[in-house]
Amino acid sequence: MKKKVLLMGASGSGKTSMRSLIFSNNPASLTARLGATIDVEQNHVRFLGDLILNLWDCGGQDAFMDSYLTTQRSTIFQHVGVLIYVFDVETNEMHKDLEYYRDCLDGLRQFSPDAAVFLLVHKMDLAHDKDATFERKKKELHEHSEKLGQPTPSVTVFGTSIYDESLYRAWSSIVHTLIPNAAVLSKHLTIFAEACSATEVILFERTTFLVIATSSSPTSPSPGAASQELEATRYERTSELIKAFKHSCSRVREEFHSLEMELPEFSAVLDEMTKNTYVLIIVHDPTIETAALKLNIRMARRKFEELQGLT
Amino acid sequence: MATSTYGATATASSPKRTTSTTSVPKGIARTKILLLGQRRSGKTSIKEVLFNALPPKQTFYLETTMRVIKHAYDTVIPLEIWDCPGNVTVETLGAPLSRFSALIFVIDIRDLYKQPISKLVEFIIAASRDNPQLLVEVFVHKAEKLQEDDKIENFRQIQERVQDSLMERECEQMPCNFHLTSVYDHSLHEAFSKVLHKLIHSLPFLEDLLNVFCANSQSPKAFLFDAASRLYVATDASPVDSATHNLCCDYLSMLNAFGPLYRSSTSSATRLRIPSVEPSPDNPSPQETKHRFYPSAAASLHPSAPGTTLTYHLITPHLALLALVPTGVYEGRRGLLEYNVVFFREGVQEICAVEQEARGG
Repeated sequence: MKKKVLLMGASGSGKTSMRSLIFSNNPASLTARLGATIDVEQNHVRFLGDLILNLWDCGGQDAFMDSYLTTQRSTIFQHVGVLIYVFDVETNEMHKDLEYYRDCLDGLRQFSPDAAVFLLVHKMDLAHDKDATFERKKKELHEHSEKLGQPTPSVTVFGTSIYDESLYRAWSSIVHTLIPNAAVLSKHLTIFAEACSATEVILFERTTFLVIATSSSPTSPSPGAASQELEATRYERTSELIKAFKHSCSRVREEFHSLEMELPEFSAVLDEMTKNTYVLIIVHDPTIETAALKLNIRMARRKFEELQGLT
Repeated sequence: MATSTYGATATASSPKRTTSTTSVPKGIARTKILLLGQRRSGKTSIKEVLFNALPPKQTFYLETTMRVIKHAYDTVIPLEIWDCPGNVTVETLGAPLSRFSALIFVIDIRDLYKQPISKLVEFIIAASRDNPQLLVEVFVHKAEKLQEDDKIENFRQIQERVQDSLMERECEQMPCNFHLTSVYDHSLHEAFSKVLHKLIHSLPFLEDLLNVFCANSQSPKAFLFDAASRLYVATDASPVDSATHNLCCDYLSMLNAFGPLYRSSTSSATRLRIPSVEPSPDNPSPQETKHRFYPSAAASLHPSAPGTTLTYHLITPHLALLALVPTGVYEGRRGLLEYNVVFFREGVQEICAVEQEARGG
């Protein structure tokens, strides 16, 4: 199954930078070297077994935008699964941005009325009062979308920055909408978590380390309560930390493979689940050995391959 | 858990551990490091990034230091870093130079002018009079601001100018080392580590322990790191290659960041064998130390057979052993490896205890 993802927004708003971070494992410090995107750069990312993300990074200069909306209109807006529209938080041309956004929504309504819409208020690291700025922008974008006939629940707004975990949060939630069997995966992860006496089990995509699914809070009260009080940003922070370490490994021509930790606060194992996913098991019970968790991962591997249609 | 049982034997057999290292008695003799340089050269940035875990990007927002700030930091030896305002002189420092063990002079790499160098020379001359043993280290800082060629050229010019001025003042007998540093990469950690090595009198013993550990564990490289600051305190005799050092540094920073991420206040009570919870000095109960839990971690760096595993073992509340170990050894003979860690830990803890006693702790 192929899902088309449109990445649009003004020139220099950071579309290619975020793509390079999420899909090419480049560090944020190297994004300054990226040039302007000419026309559309397409790439295919094999995400899970049968899900292929067809990413259309659309150069944002006015000439290109005008051509997307006129001559290339049907090519661009056909079969779209997700539209991601990027707004630079510090832009001086918000008015123009919103006009193009309106035209893109028109195109989308004409050719792919079911597409999901995500708006990213990007470069949040430059904003002074982050929370207030984001709330103001979010309100503005929702009001504007509302006027264009796109009700608030159908549009998701995220504040993002390539310098922190917020980008992973936004993208994880974007790909989550594209994964057809997310609920099934989540159910099996919950069973797996119980088998491991784990507080939480998280499934990541292998190359991007975006969160695909997590075990839902188990029904038994004690561990359920435990996972609720954990740090709210832990998933995206984990993605960010592992990606950064993978990059460090690649610099010495090593390839990160697996990790086990027995830290004062918890034990954890991060290992390959299937050929395109990684699993992280978090255990707070001090009597659980990491070796046992590794054994469990080995035994669960077949089932998860089956779930992804890999067998 | 294997590690904790071994940890228990290690602590039980070293009786000196009952004295606490976390709650530092007032009278302890700290090794003093003087941090000097012009205004806005990056002194406070260096101190904050290393010892307060400030993200490098945040250093931009630091306020100008108006008076001498003394920052105490406990690692293998107790340190006291004196962060001075830019205009401080030998006279206004408030302490004779003889009380310091090292002087780190920070020069902004883009700043080629006479001022910083003449100030450095003033301090060196005063030191040659009051304290000829004083280590003088020059950090040519903010290296990230220049391109590779300019960087090397400016670094060379600054060295030359300092040496020339010292010659003019007939003071060339004071040795002075130069390091190219930046808070944005690992160069600052590497440079500061090298300064630290010269201040640790027990360094040869730590190095010997590391050599023994490496030989017995088939490890090609091992570092003893100060976990929080990510400075390495000692390493084995094999040469340090920057890439490996950087990887270990990054590994440590990942583990440090992971620590609080999945913290749970309800379940951490059951895991309460945390090494940072030391028995209080007035009531040292050996029963408690018996259950001491030493965190550990391992990252496998290659999917197939002859790969490398990067191990992490906490040795004291401040120090961690990071070693590269062949994955075959780690997986096949993990028990023996951990046995070696216990001996290493025992040795390091004894050295720390002796050090502490000598300093009147």
